[in-house]
This record gives sequence, structure tokens and C-alpha cells, in this order.
Amino acid sequence: MSNHEAINEAILEIKDLSVAYGTAKGDVLAVQDMNLRVLPNEIMGLIGESGSGKSTLAYAVMRLLKGSARVVKGSVRILGKDIYAMDKEELRQFRWANISMVFQSAMNALNPVLTVETQIVDTILNHRPQLSRREAREKAHELADLVRIDRSRITSYPHELSGGMRQRIVIAIAISLEPSLVIMDEPTTALDVVVQRSILDQIKEIQQRVQFSVLFISHDFSLVSHLASRIAIMYAGRVVEVTEARSLMDAKVAHHPYTEGLWRAIPKLTAKSVALEGIVGTPPDLLHPPSGCAFHPRCRYTFEPCRTVRPQLQDVEGSEIACHRFVPEGIQHGQ
Amino acid sequence: MANEPLIEVKDLVVRFAVGGGLKRQRIVPVNHVSFTINPGEVLALVGESGSGKSTIGRALVRILEPSGGSLHLGGADVTKVKGKALAAYRREIQMIFQDPYGSLNPVKTVERHLRLPIRKHKQDREGGISEQIDESLQTVGLTPVSEMRVKFPHELSGGQRQRVAIARALAVKPRILVADEPISMLDVSIRAEILQLLKHLQQEYSLAYLYITHDLASARYFGDRIMVMYGGQIMESAPSDELVDKPRHPYTRLLLAATPNSAHTGPLPETSNRSPDLSENRQGCPFADRCPYVMAVCRTQDPPLIEQSAKHLVACHL
Repeated sequence: MSNHEAINEAILEIKDLSVAYGTAKGDVLAVQDMNLRVLPNEIMGLIGESGSGKSTLAYAVMRLLKGSARVVKGSVRILGKDIYAMDKEELRQFRWANISMVFQSAMNALNPVLTVETQIVDTILNHRPQLSRREAREKAHELADLVRIDRSRITSYPHELSGGMRQRIVIAIAISLEPSLVIMDEPTTALDVVVQRSILDQIKEIQQRVQFSVLFISHDFSLVSHLASRIAIMYAGRVVEVTEARSLMDAKVAHHPYTEGLWRAIPKLTAKSVALEGIVGTPPDLLHPPSGCAFHPRCRYTFEPCRTVRPQLQDVEGSEIACHRFVPEGIQHGQ
Repeated sequence: MANEPLIEVKDLVVRFAVGGGLKRQRIVPVNHVSFTINPGEVLALVGESGSGKSTIGRALVRILEPSGGSLHLGGADVTKVKGKALAAYRREIQMIFQDPYGSLNPVKTVERHLRLPIRKHKQDREGGISEQIDESLQTVGLTPVSEMRVKFPHELSGGQRQRVAIARALAVKPRILVADEPISMLDVSIRAEILQLLKHLQQEYSLAYLYITHDLASARYFGDRIMVMYGGQIMESAPSDELVDKPRHPYTRLLLAATPNSAHTGPLPETSNRSPDLSENRQGCPFADRCPYVMAVCRTQDPPLIEQSAKHLVACHL
């Protein structure tokens, strides 16, 4: 792809981003001081539980925040361009051509009264008015091949297709303009296990063939670790760790206590009767977030500074972790 | 007899009518299913959507009337019991649902959710109910009890709500619990605790379960035995470790390969992703359309469920 020259330049760069929802009881910060970089041609996973701010982040990156939600500070740069500095028309042209999104339950995002072919063609023509309808249709057929949908089926209406096929169509629409970044927010949650796996395999295959970056948002740790090369873990609106997906399988690599807990809380198919361990307590109420490290009330390693001082992301053995355990001075403070 | 099964399901059939007018037809989401659950045993029922797994759960607690076959509890026929006998049956078998947001009444406190079933169990004698509410909240880990009793569902987290649903199901001291996807709507960090609670209750009260799930990993963790369903029929059934380590049925193998973090790498065997045909006059094996090893006989004859080695049952012509 031509639109990014330097290979090490981040496709997506989020800096100090905070997003607030205005409520009757005051502002709630759903995303706080978030920093994240997605590199060219990588699949980056973003993991969080409900209320961790992961979907809010996706909407903020797309500049699609609605209602009482607003960016209170920080910046989002895609291909070096600040998307909050664009005017409406600039944004309309930029979005989808350079960054697109597959939504949660995307299979219900299709228009029921248009054939899926029309929907793909309209998307292409909207951004590439120089193309003829025939050329756009040719492109639509190529996309159908890419997501392995029989060309004869793309003149169907959405209700005539299965959930998995609809999800493939939505992915085809998302990549129809060859964007540099596709954000996928829980794209396979509503699908059966086998369909889910085949779509994930396809995303990976297409991503390698066509070359774009993916920010893959999910609550499902084992699924993301299967797909992504790097994973960011969010808790209470902040990134608490960025790590290599591979390192999760390696018991010797240090992780944030929340990451560790989440990993231990998932039943593993291959492990024989390994004891499961949940994380005690419940996710925090963002109206009254805990002081210091937001995870400290649930953490098994909590010591003094955790209650008062908010830990920052630091390099720890190749990962970035926000935890006082891994800061030498922090440990001294605790003693 | 000591080895008598707690629940015995024989040839269970459930039919639904779908569509109206000329298009009206019947589907069979549960098609001649037989299995047993022993006292204190956890049977995990695994399948995708449309496999009939939830329908079996509902037929078992008699929310749905079975169209054919029989249900026995401790040797007594409960297939068609009504009125008092049905109420008595339901004291032995209880159900918890997937959605802890939908299964509690938003205008009732936790205490009131438990009061009725506890009174039922005590045959309407008033004494000691309050103590029992405390006790059952303790059992499911809803503490401090005095605070929890007066809360409304909206004041609880998803995990806590599911605990209330479990406490309510246990209030009548059943011998078996049908748990239909009890953790799939909960946050990941909460799921393990609910599974542990269910496991603890199994050991403490030698409670039996029919654990319905789409997730083989949790089925292996919690289930003593796993039964894999497809298109309303049992494809394979075996002790959990054996099923995961030595799957025999092509569908079980496909499911295993598709589960994240399975030993399987590389692409899945090529199959269509069509959902199973449940219509009444379907012929042959329900998985035939998707099976990579399909043979002519699969399309005409339904393979019987045969015990291929001890406790390992497979329905496949291969």
C-alpha cells in the first residue's frame, strides 16, 4: 500500500486519550489517558471486560462518539493525520477509505431491502466516483471471492444468507476500499464455534494477502491470543498491559496481575483438570473508580503504593506493564 | 439399587410447528435422544445453536411437553405427571438460565426471590424461613448476607444475579440442576467463580447437573461426561477427558479443532457452514451435509448410537 511510507510509522497512534460520558451524576471517564500504537500489517488484540472502555475506544478512534460521549483530551492519529482536526467532508472521505470498522453483531448492520451486491457497490462508488458501476460490480465479485462467498450468492438479500455469510459480507465491505486499518469490535461473538473459527482464519488469511492492520476488540482471551500478534489489555478505561500474544502461553513471562488472573480464569481445552481461579470481586464502578491502581481491590499482590499511586506503563521483559510490582522503587516504598 | 440412574431419558422427541398457512411444517429439534444422569454426576451437553441442547433442558424440567419418549426420575415415570406430582418432580429438578438479567423479577428483593421456594420446600410452615434465606445466601457466596437480602436485582452485578438464581434453584433442595449456558453472559473474570461454585455445590450436596454449553473447554472442566449433539441427535458421548483426547465422531473433531487454543493448527477441514436441517422428513445423518467423510449410506440411513468402547458412544457409519 502506498499511503504510508516509513515502515515503522504507526498506522494508528492514540496519545493520552480520555473519553467521558456525561451523566446526571457527573462525568464518567470510560477511557483514561490511553496510549496505543498499531503498526503496519499487524493484528493487534484489545481485550477487556464489559465496561472496560474497549468499545468506547473504537468509537472514539472512528470519531463516531454520540450522545453525551466526548473526547476530553488527547489525540487520535491515523496515518499521521489527526482525525479530530478534520472537517466533515475530509472526515467522510478519509473514513472507510483509510479506516473501517466491523461492528458488534455486524450481521444485522446490513440493509434488509438491498441486495448485498448493491451494498458493496454503493460503498465503493461513494468513495470512488471515478469508477463505473460495472467496474464496481467486478470489484464486488472479487471481494466475494476473497471472503469465499459464491459469486452467485451476492445478489441475495441479507435474510437469505446465514449469519456467518452476512458477517463475511460485512468484512468484505470493510475492506472494499483497501483501508490501512480495520477495527473489528467483537465480530464473531454471535456466531457458532466452527463458523467463528473459519471467519477468524479467513481474516488472518486476507490480512496477510491484502496487507492491512487490524485492531481486534474482544472479551475472549483465548480467541484473541489465537488471532493477534500483540495484545493490549484494558481495565477500567486504561491499558494495563501490552504484550506479545505468544508470551501468554509461557508461564515464565511476567504479566500484569489482571492479565494473569484472566488467563487463569479461562478453562483450557487441552489442559487436564487444571484448577480454575476466578478474580475475586467485581469490575469497578467507573463513577467511583478506586484510588491508585484501579485493580488494587481485586489484586492478590496489593501493597501500599497500589492504593494511592497510579502505576504507569513500563517496559518489563519485553512487555509494557502498568503495575507497582515491577517497579523497584515501588517495592521499596511498600516495605 | 445403588447404581440406578437419577434421570433416565428414553427416546425423547420434541416437535415444533413453524411457519403458518401453506408453509406450515414441523421441525424436530430433539430427535430420539436417550441418556442417563447418575446421582451427583455432571453431564455436559455440548452443541451449536440449533443442536437441540436447550430444548432438551427445557423438556427435562417439563417447561416443554415432550412429543414422544419418556422421562424417569429415580425409576418413577414423570413424562406426563401433572399438578401435585409435577410440583413434586420440580422439587427434585431445577433450572438456571443463561440470562441472569432476565430471570429475576426487577421489583422483588433478593430475599423475596428466595422466600417462596423455601416456603414451598418447607411445605408452608413459616418457622425458620429467615434463617434459611441467610443460609442459602451464604452457600452461594452472597455476603454480607444482611446487606444482600434487601437488594434489588438492578443493584447487583451479573455474577451476583446468577448467584441469586442459583440460590433460588437450590432452595427446594433439588437433586439435579439443569444449567443452560449459566456463564456465557458473564464477564470472563466472573465466569470461573460461578463454575467453581457449581462444582463446589456438586461435591457438597452431591448434586447432579445437566450442564448445557457451546464451549467444550468449560464442558471438560466441569463435566464428568460430555455428550455432543448435532441437529437434534447425539453424535458422541464419552467421559470428558476421553472425548477431548480421543474424539471419534467427525463433528466432535471439527468442534475440537475450532475451539481456540486447541492443539489443532492450520485450516479447518473444509465443510459447509450450513445450519442443520431439522425438518421432520429429513433422511440420514444430520451431519452428512457438512461431513468431510460423507458416504452414500450417510444420506439415507441414520447411524445408530453404538458403544464403541466402555462408556464411549458414537453415532457414525465410519
